[in-house]
Amino acid sequence: MHYKFGEPAGRYLGPGGGYHVYSGSISEAAPQGYGDIHVHKMAAGEFNFQYGPSTGGLMESVGISLTTPGELINSVGVDPYFKARELKLKGQGIETALLMVERINGFHAASNSLAFLMAVEDALGIETSEEVQKARILQLELERIRSNLEVMKRMCEPAGFGVPTNQLGYLREKVSRIISSASGHRFFFGVNAPGYASIAYSGINEKLNVARQEFERIFYALLESKIFLNRLQNNGVTKDQFLSGPAARASGLRYDSRLDSGLLPYGDTPFFPAVREEKDCFGRFSVRGEEILNSIDIIASLGNLRETDRHVSKAGDGEGCARLESPQGDIFYYVKIRDGKLEDIWHVSPGVLNVRAFQESMKGNIFTDFHFNWESFGIWISEIGVVIR
Amino acid sequence: MSNFWFGEGLRKGRKTEKFPLAPPEEPPLWPSYLDGNAEPYCPTEAIKEGMWDPGRCIFCRLCEPQYKPTGKQGIFQVRKTQPLLKKSFYIYKLDSGACGACNVELGTIFDPQYDANRLNIFMTNTPRHADAIVVMGVQTERMKEALKNAYEAMPEPKLIISLGACAISGGIIGKSPMEREQYHVEIAGCPPSPYTILEALSRARGV
Repeated sequence: MHYKFGEPAGRYLGPGGGYHVYSGSISEAAPQGYGDIHVHKMAAGEFNFQYGPSTGGLMESVGISLTTPGELINSVGVDPYFKARELKLKGQGIETALLMVERINGFHAASNSLAFLMAVEDALGIETSEEVQKARILQLELERIRSNLEVMKRMCEPAGFGVPTNQLGYLREKVSRIISSASGHRFFFGVNAPGYASIAYSGINEKLNVARQEFERIFYALLESKIFLNRLQNNGVTKDQFLSGPAARASGLRYDSRLDSGLLPYGDTPFFPAVREEKDCFGRFSVRGEEILNSIDIIASLGNLRETDRHVSKAGDGEGCARLESPQGDIFYYVKIRDGKLEDIWHVSPGVLNVRAFQESMKGNIFTDFHFNWESFGIWISEIGVVIR
Repeated sequence: MSNFWFGEGLRKGRKTEKFPLAPPEEPPLWPSYLDGNAEPYCPTEAIKEGMWDPGRCIFCRLCEPQYKPTGKQGIFQVRKTQPLLKKSFYIYKLDSGACGACNVELGTIFDPQYDANRLNIFMTNTPRHADAIVVMGVQTERMKEALKNAYEAMPEPKLIISLGACAISGGIIGKSPMEREQYHVEIAGCPPSPYTILEALSRARGV
């Protein structure tokens, strides 16, 4: 296993499997300051406003409790376990487990399934070809483009900004169709296996270049819209250091698994982490926009890819883990395999850190800020509210 | 700047496809109707004794090459329609325990390529204004009450629609939130494609 159990080393990725995972180690020790969450005491005139778990304004079922004297939000509690699903993964073979892992977060299925498969490959000592590694970068970057478009679209929606909302939705669907024609499935289900990726590269660049021109026009116009920027600037300012993905990079932190995981050859691509200092919704919006453009450049640099032969799953024993940069942030999987079956498996979702940061960032804001801030973190509840058995 | 967006809206022109009056422009292969007749391994037993049950199928491709996707959309079953809702059909989505893919695909039918609003289909934020509840995902303990409350809050006439393999049969993840016979409309897929969702919702109105 390329990861080591021991003392905390590197930046904090989050809790999982009863441990605390860092960029350089798996430890039993939580980082300093992680448990210091201010507990709000209800003051006179305040009341609790329950939003969710099921309401039209939320993409997924999640319980949100807001403490307020009327307009100002003094405290926020997020309960991501309303729709907690139990996944029976332990004891399963790799093939069946993969079907479930793909469905931990369907919208980020490539990130989840590839992190899982790379952990399996680490455990079983399976080598992957350069073609497969490039095919994996292609999937991850296509998924990032689509996911960031979805977040940006959902940030335009509460502003009642109909034209950009629909145009970003149009582009998001265009990317879904590119994914579908390249891989056969709109969410990369059934595309990957140990040492294998089934994705056709032909024509992707041309389609993405057309989408890029359309996106740049919308993105730069939105960055000049004072009405829109007023809703984002100074909304949801994060002071936390425990952040992941675009939320971290929008707070001046150069956190990105593509930089320091070393599992995929991002060094051969024009990848650069988009980092901004604003720490607010505007920073998170800008980072996502810049990442879309960079992801298109990364894909263009991959060259033509050939489909690889299907790898026959290797039975055996071992322990492995892998860390990738999903559109939400660092995603980590740990597996322990005995006789080709999963003896243990757990994962770390970037959403755990970002939910925590969202709660802190919402204090002192008002109700109309809520949706912009919630959407700007791009949190997927399905990935957090899951119990692996 | 407001003029810019007005012009931008016009500049792009009409992007909405003619579906369901015309065939889908870019249908996905997975999910689509499967063609085959052997007895391959199926992790959800969607293929049993030579019969394919789309409501159990997660379109995982493990049945290839014995079964092949045809690209044909419209994998749904309508048991009851409600023609009263032909001119205005408001749906309320309820995520009982979904992975997020069904949630996204349901939202996609309101994007410009599909524009469900032109077919008088709208999303509502509360079950009190809903004509149909669209259930997504597997059964989860704490969402049972939310589903029951949402259903009871809806005025008559009302329809119950299951979206995706998890809601219909539990798929590969767990148990479905309702008995299969209770659903008036079953929309198959993992997740169902926007084409299939749009056509199924349209047909539920008796159109």
